[in-house]
Amino acid sequence: MSQTILSVKNLKKTYENGTHALKGVSFDVKKGEFLVIIGLSGSGKSTLLRCINRLHDPTSGEILFYDQDIAKAKGDEVREIRKKIGMIFQHFNLVPRYSVLKNVLMGRLGTMTSVASLLGIFNQKDKEKALDYLKLVGIREKAGLRADNLSGGQQQRVAIARALTQGPDLLLADEPVASLDPATCHVVMDYLKKVNQELGITVICNLHFLSLVRQYATRVIALKGGEIVFQGSPSEISEAWFEKIYGEGAKEVHIN
Amino acid sequence: MKNFNLKSMVFDGITIAFLFLVVIVVVTNPTEEQQLNLSFNASLAGLLFLFSGVISWVLNHFNIRTWGEQIFLPPQKKAVDAEVPLLKTFWGWQALIVLITTFIVGLVKTKFSFYELSNPDGFAGAMRLFQGIFNPDWTLLPKAVLNIIETIFMAFIATALAIPIAFVFSFLAAKNIMKGPVAFPVYLILRTLLNVTRSVEALIWAIIFSVWVGIGPFAGMMALMIHSIASLAKQYSEMVESVNEGPIEGILSTGATRLQMVWFAIVPQVILPYISFTVYRWDINVRMATIIGLVGGGGIGTLLIQYQGQAMWPQVGCIIVVIAVVVWLLDQASAYLREALK
Repeated sequence: MSQTILSVKNLKKTYENGTHALKGVSFDVKKGEFLVIIGLSGSGKSTLLRCINRLHDPTSGEILFYDQDIAKAKGDEVREIRKKIGMIFQHFNLVPRYSVLKNVLMGRLGTMTSVASLLGIFNQKDKEKALDYLKLVGIREKAGLRADNLSGGQQQRVAIARALTQGPDLLLADEPVASLDPATCHVVMDYLKKVNQELGITVICNLHFLSLVRQYATRVIALKGGEIVFQGSPSEISEAWFEKIYGEGAKEVHIN
Repeated sequence: MKNFNLKSMVFDGITIAFLFLVVIVVVTNPTEEQQLNLSFNASLAGLLFLFSGVISWVLNHFNIRTWGEQIFLPPQKKAVDAEVPLLKTFWGWQALIVLITTFIVGLVKTKFSFYELSNPDGFAGAMRLFQGIFNPDWTLLPKAVLNIIETIFMAFIATALAIPIAFVFSFLAAKNIMKGPVAFPVYLILRTLLNVTRSVEALIWAIIFSVWVGIGPFAGMMALMIHSIASLAKQYSEMVESVNEGPIEGILSTGATRLQMVWFAIVPQVILPYISFTVYRWDINVRMATIIGLVGGGGIGTLLIQYQGQAMWPQVGCIIVVIAVVVWLLDQASAYLREALK
């Protein structure tokens, strides 16, 4: 059995307004897995991912990343962790006015001194690396364009390249295809699969569509009301499980 | 629910107490000494305010809609109201009477008088002034031009020096990035300081600085700069508060520092509006610089007050023409610039 990269233990998150987003979630992630988290909107999927890279602060519980508890890390420790954990978002979260290349280079900020980065001095090696990753996601030729001139699918691929430029061991993807059309969906998911298989980067991905889950996931976790209600391989999700996760009367939709 | 009731009671309290006070003044016709008795009058007003608040509450209690209730009622409650003509409602009459009373009191207080407006002596004096102004003494033109150049540069330097300071303040005064046990108090203190600074008019700052550094363009420039810092920082920080959170998350997730996040995620989003605000501020500062000159801030305003004091109207006319032309030109230029920057 391969090494455990991430181990979440009894993780709880209560927002200031009193919402219990996570009510004690525990699971392990092995190196090289493509873990998909499913669940309704508001089930705690996004909160969970944001607790892992500490964009949100967990209320209690442990998050072991390479056996180091990062749930209570502070300041520079948090930044060190984030360098090893890339993230892509539903709305891509690129800087719209910057060029594609500059957006990808943002992935190097964590390794640069403040002065060099504020002056915009990126070294040649970083630039080559950024261009390589753009090539990997198939948009090398768009490097000089402004990010907001690209289509949604292309912007998401820029976001993947940005995350890869960090040199992460773990990639978090928060609903990466939720604002894309069905055809583009598969393109982006295929690149995530490529990242997972060719670069050996562990992926944790939030998804809505069960058909995508069956196609890409090596393992599935289902969240409902901030708790894990299912853990297993995608083929094990039966009709009964589906209704349990998504509520009575829910119908599965296929996108192709 | 409670909150809306309180607002409505305060509003009715003020408007109804105002009516009571007007009636009392009309009936008792107080002497000047009585009018200056602030503590007695203030307590009377305070008592009437409380009394009127209670009236409002009682009226609301008996389902009579007051003006305050009408204003502060949550929209979802107004939605179910039947259409009633304005003058068949209590609040309609309340509003009408309060507005008409306020207007009449205003006319009395400003001593509005058709008699004075049509007084032949006064009118003749105004005509002499107009004659002077409309026949400008162009021999003063070189001096006026020289002075307005001083004014323009006063405004320019005031704006230029304010930019970097306001730029830094704008992030420190933005609620969305000043979170945490240290940052939030800094935000609160800076916000309060900026609000207080801004509420003091540039004219007052000019008086302060003309005593501090002496009458002249330096005092005027300092006054404008202080005012510009406060105004720009407020406008800038509002832009920072309305930025898209997405890029912030995106940059932070790469392991960037907060400084890098501000520089790469926020600055690109706010830089164009910043420039636009700054151009507009320079435009405002040129106009303000003219006024500030009147209290010893240097530039064209000081020249204006000299000639106005000696009632030399043709010279004043020349200065007014120069000011009008420059202000108009700058106004146009800044409008075109801001349009292009959108």
